[in-house]
Amino acid sequence: MKGLLVKDFKLMMLQKNFLLLILAIVIGMMILSDDMVFPIGFLSFVASLFTVSTISYDDFDNGNAFLFTLPITRNNYVIEKYSLGLLFGCIAWILATVLGIIVTVSKDILPVTDLVQSSLIILPMMIVVQAIMLPFQLKFGGDKGRIAMIGAFGALAVISIVIVKGAEAIFKVDLISLLDNLPTVSMGVFLAITIIVALLMLLVSMKISLSIMNKKEF
Amino acid sequence: MLKIEHLKKHYDNFSLDCSLELMSGCVTGLIGQNGAGKSTTFKAILGLISTDGGNITILGKDIKDFTVKDKENLGVVLSDSGFSGYLKIKDIIPILQNMYSKFDKSLFIEQAQRFQLPMNKQIKEFSTGMKAKLKVLVAISHNAKLLILDEPTAGLDVIARDELLEMLREFLEKDEERSILISSHISSDLESLCDDLYMIHDGRIILHEDTDVLLSDYALLKVDAEQYGKLDKQFIMRSKKETYGYSCLTNQKQYYIENYPKIAIEKGTIDEVITMMIRGTEQ
Repeated sequence: MKGLLVKDFKLMMLQKNFLLLILAIVIGMMILSDDMVFPIGFLSFVASLFTVSTISYDDFDNGNAFLFTLPITRNNYVIEKYSLGLLFGCIAWILATVLGIIVTVSKDILPVTDLVQSSLIILPMMIVVQAIMLPFQLKFGGDKGRIAMIGAFGALAVISIVIVKGAEAIFKVDLISLLDNLPTVSMGVFLAITIIVALLMLLVSMKISLSIMNKKEF
Repeated sequence: MLKIEHLKKHYDNFSLDCSLELMSGCVTGLIGQNGAGKSTTFKAILGLISTDGGNITILGKDIKDFTVKDKENLGVVLSDSGFSGYLKIKDIIPILQNMYSKFDKSLFIEQAQRFQLPMNKQIKEFSTGMKAKLKVLVAISHNAKLLILDEPTAGLDVIARDELLEMLREFLEKDEERSILISSHISSDLESLCDDLYMIHDGRIILHEDTDVLLSDYALLKVDAEQYGKLDKQFIMRSKKETYGYSCLTNQKQYYIENYPKIAIEKGTIDEVITMMIRGTEQ
């Protein structure tokens, strides 16, 4: 497991210049604009993409076949990818949030609690994105995986719109304004629930990935 | 060391049914044409593909019960796969260190320098020979008991091939128990290294023989039609029609030398034996 983490770290370091560039862009966005939420989300999602990209690197030139002759199991491999995604994603998210707080405080624009609240909504979103991306990438590999992923996100967007509109039409409930008007206390409960739901989704996604990998032939 | 009993794998236009055994301290070769089933056999041994039947035992353990710890005893070279081409040797060292408890870092670095493998260059930029040497070096540098090498010499020039075989010999010398299963479609690669050879064709083992016996007792008889008619065919394994008459493969060279002094008898090279086993008709 540790060997795999070292390998992925080395692979991600191949793109360190790109990663630094993204970081610079994020800092630039924070300084130049008053919107902190977008750069925080941006950095978290790019970091997630980075961990997913290591799967493509492993796949390059049929490298997976050799990888699985090393002293690791297919389960180790899947668990390592999920741990890496969560670890790297959270580090990026914390980094972005801290940067956001620093810039907000120095510019004195928005109450810090509002920023932290928005930032906390991004965390479960990032986890859900990883939960969707990883099984697709493991199942279809680099190129086909990307297409499948776009399809999946499209489907997800359509489903969410249908739910919001459906709730509006059938039950006459406006979900979005309901969310906006949640009192702060229940906002905390709401966030806790979304994070738990997101983690559960990640767990289900990992189960699916485990069964995908165990069926694969190299 | 390794035992395969009726390993079966079916594809649409190919089916494998292979049995072979590798003894402790031995080097066993698996020879066959491209597409004969060598890589499929290797992948099944390594658990990379599912099988449709048969048993595989490695180091006394069924592969279904093989653990991560057991895998440390194997050193593997695959013909079409290796470490990601984006990595460098200096990246691979810490990876191996964290994968194998017995990784010998000083041996690895020493050998990499000996074969002039650059530490700081991406593997995908390496020449074919350098890539092949690196693959073997990775396989031999963690004190494995069994090496499983699928076409490690493919595409190499003579010098690079000899250097690679030299690495394997040195590996074997260090411990009597060490064994190697190696495949190639070029038999001369294996002649000098292997104790015994299996020949595989269309997914079936068609011949198993000690290399010494293969080189000393096998021969090709070149006869015209008349000589062929009179020939005692009890030790003829295969025969094939040629422009001058027939060529016949025997595994009892001495018998024909003594009883048919006028027949042209050529010492069979392994390649000729393979060709006859595949192209010739059975007696």
